[in-house]
Amino acid sequence: MENPLPVPPPSIAASLIEAAGLTKLYGDFPAVTDLSFSVRAGEVIGLVGPNGAGKTTTLRCLSGIIPPTRGSVKICGRDMGTDPIEAKRNLAFFPDEPRLFDYLTVSQHLTFTARIYNVPNYQEIARGLLDELEIADKTDKLPGELSRGMKQKLAIACGFLHSPRAIFFDEPLTGLDPLGIRRMKDSIIKRAAAGAAILISSHLLHLLEEVCSHVLILKEGRKIIDGTMDEIRSNFSEISAGANLEEIFFRATGENKGP
Amino acid sequence: MGRALLYYELHSRWNRLRTRLRRLRQPKYLIGAVVGGLYFYWYFVAMLLRRSGHGAVSPLPSPEHLAVLESVAALILLIVLLLMWVIPHDRAALAFTEAEVAFLFPAPVPRRTLIHFKLVKSQTAILFSSLLMALLLRGGGTHNLFRAVGWWGVLSIVNLHLLGSSFARTLLLDHGISNWRRRLIFLGGAAVALAAVFLSVRHSLPPPPDLLDSFPSTKSFDLLSNYAGQIFDSNPLHWLLAPFRLAVAPLFAADAKGFLLALGPVMALIAIQYAWVIRSNVAFEEASVELSRKIADRIAAMRSGNWQAMRKPKKGKRPPFELRPAGWPALAIFWKNLISAGHFFTGRAWFSLVWILVVVGVVMRPAESHAGTGAAVAVLAVSLGMITIFYGPQILRHDFRQDLRVADILKMYPLPGWQMVIGEILAPAVILAGIQWALILLAFLLCPANMGGAPVPMVLRLSIALSAALVLPCVDFIALLLPNAAALIFPAWVQLGKDTPRGFETMGQQLILMFGQIIVLTLSLLPAAMAGTVSYLAVWWLTGKIVAAAVVPGALAAALVLATEAAFGVWLLGKAFERFDWSEGSLE
Repeated sequence: MENPLPVPPPSIAASLIEAAGLTKLYGDFPAVTDLSFSVRAGEVIGLVGPNGAGKTTTLRCLSGIIPPTRGSVKICGRDMGTDPIEAKRNLAFFPDEPRLFDYLTVSQHLTFTARIYNVPNYQEIARGLLDELEIADKTDKLPGELSRGMKQKLAIACGFLHSPRAIFFDEPLTGLDPLGIRRMKDSIIKRAAAGAAILISSHLLHLLEEVCSHVLILKEGRKIIDGTMDEIRSNFSEISAGANLEEIFFRATGENKGP
Repeated sequence: MGRALLYYELHSRWNRLRTRLRRLRQPKYLIGAVVGGLYFYWYFVAMLLRRSGHGAVSPLPSPEHLAVLESVAALILLIVLLLMWVIPHDRAALAFTEAEVAFLFPAPVPRRTLIHFKLVKSQTAILFSSLLMALLLRGGGTHNLFRAVGWWGVLSIVNLHLLGSSFARTLLLDHGISNWRRRLIFLGGAAVALAAVFLSVRHSLPPPPDLLDSFPSTKSFDLLSNYAGQIFDSNPLHWLLAPFRLAVAPLFAADAKGFLLALGPVMALIAIQYAWVIRSNVAFEEASVELSRKIADRIAAMRSGNWQAMRKPKKGKRPPFELRPAGWPALAIFWKNLISAGHFFTGRAWFSLVWILVVVGVVMRPAESHAGTGAAVAVLAVSLGMITIFYGPQILRHDFRQDLRVADILKMYPLPGWQMVIGEILAPAVILAGIQWALILLAFLLCPANMGGAPVPMVLRLSIALSAALVLPCVDFIALLLPNAAALIFPAWVQLGKDTPRGFETMGQQLILMFGQIIVLTLSLLPAAMAGTVSYLAVWWLTGKIVAAAVVPGALAAALVLATEAAFGVWLLGKAFERFDWSEGSLE
């Protein structure tokens, strides 16, 4: 499959997301162990792994929601441990389930987010986002009056309002209709082309194949492989050159593909 | 099929119990369980032992009094059952969990089996409630067991009637009889019955006895009881209450024989209601699915400590003020929480309230005839103000206790912890201060110039009012910091995890938290009280013992100490928020 995103040369693009030795323990249980990688401007990395591989924990650590037990995270060169405010100013995280305030309307969500991120000309940006996401007619609605997909769109509008340069998605296509899925894919590609670094965690391997320039495979909290699709394919010389991500995933994780 | 449901129910309960017992390995749950267990022992078991320790069982009321009590209970039951036909407006719905809906509704389970399942399941709560009621309302001489069975009968009838009436309500709706028409029919019937009873009593009974002379002696109660007995025995009330009297009769049985005789009709009533419920051919599935979703939302809100969110807003609320996109970000959290608090908590509403209070104060104050009333209202306002200090922070929860449900989103915001804390606590603090200032204003306006023989000059009243207005917001802020600190530092104790802890351990944890908060609040008030007292005495001495001149400086010193403590608390809590790891709480 033709990848829409050209891989930027390492010397040109800056690393907007950097994880170094990232480790997260829950008690004695290691959810993520010694994970290091970076995402440069314009790159879209697909975070893949079986259930319980530590994908969501990784995303939460990267976005400053939970502190890592060891290691460091840098967003746009700002260390999440020592300079969390500036690091967070440049990121957006979209959890698998849209988290909204029950009592704020769509427009109030955007006003609130604008103040939190200090976006002076937010009305114009918000209008554009609402139009793009096709929820411009829902501005006075509460989350309780919106469908799952609409809520997802509102969360996306709030997340994009401050034009983040590091973007994390956790299962971004859940709850979207086919048109919404298409729009979401286009939006991801558009933002990467505009210079954002994007990390997507998903089990939908065909989606990742379509939009990602790189893939990072986790298993039991450890990185087992990362790189561009071609690099990964070359690591598995025994599979054919045209092998898809699904085949690579099963080969890399040693998971049984089934009958 | 019944076996599968029984298997599900028994294993669910057993697994829940095992989980709770396993959790006791953690000290925080073990300590909670010990404290909760001791509280339960002192409150229930020791109370029972103390009562039985007196030896003889308290004597039975006379048969006349028992008959009156039985009639009163029957009347209450009649009203409760009548309200079941008047108040509800939803279609019939059985309360299932979301998992039960997902597994049982698409499965080949007959509708009757689902109803049986719910009826059997509700018996656990009914049995527990019956035992509790039998223990708590242990006044007469009847045996505990008789009373427990009596309560079981009453509660089972109520439960079956609730279900049956909801089915009947749905059938009426299906036949085009709207909720309001149904309500009119039942309230009309009740009004006719009430009028018949009133006319009958008016024509057949003498006027009520004059109780004022003998009040509150035993004689007055005897007179009242006798008169009530005559009313209950008069027709048509006697016949109207007859079936309800049968339902409550075991509760008032004097001995085993009386109890067994009374139990027969109760079982018959239960059988009739059961047949009614089972034979009702009403579709409850759709409404049950909706109800299960609402219950799941409510449980999620309760687990996050967000009691207000148990009732989801139906329409958007007007913002309390215009929020500009640039400026201090913590103000956005305050703005958001004020919106969640509701329409009433706006500056305009507060100024309207103040305006009304000023008018009331000015109108009532000069009139000598209202001086006593004014003083009483002033005292009431002061008392209410004192109550708000303790209960306000428990009731107004538009802070972390509401927002930790979306902790991952809050953690993502580019705000330092201390700003997040101020933003979160500001809304309840401002609301509380607004209420207290209004009460202070009212007390100031209505306070007479002479209280209990002591003169209270205008300047002293003004000083006291200003001092209270100065100190109370600082106290509120500290009082609000404490439950928020509990939510951030002990999230598992304030039900923020995925699994809601229940039982003795939760009761104990909450008791420990409550006492902890009282102790910390008291300790934090001590330095302020000392500083205030020293400052007051110094100014009082310097000004030649002028009390009015010394009150405000004293309050100012106390407020400064409190503000310093609050600032320190905000800084500490900000650090706690920055370290707050939602995932740790959710894994416990």
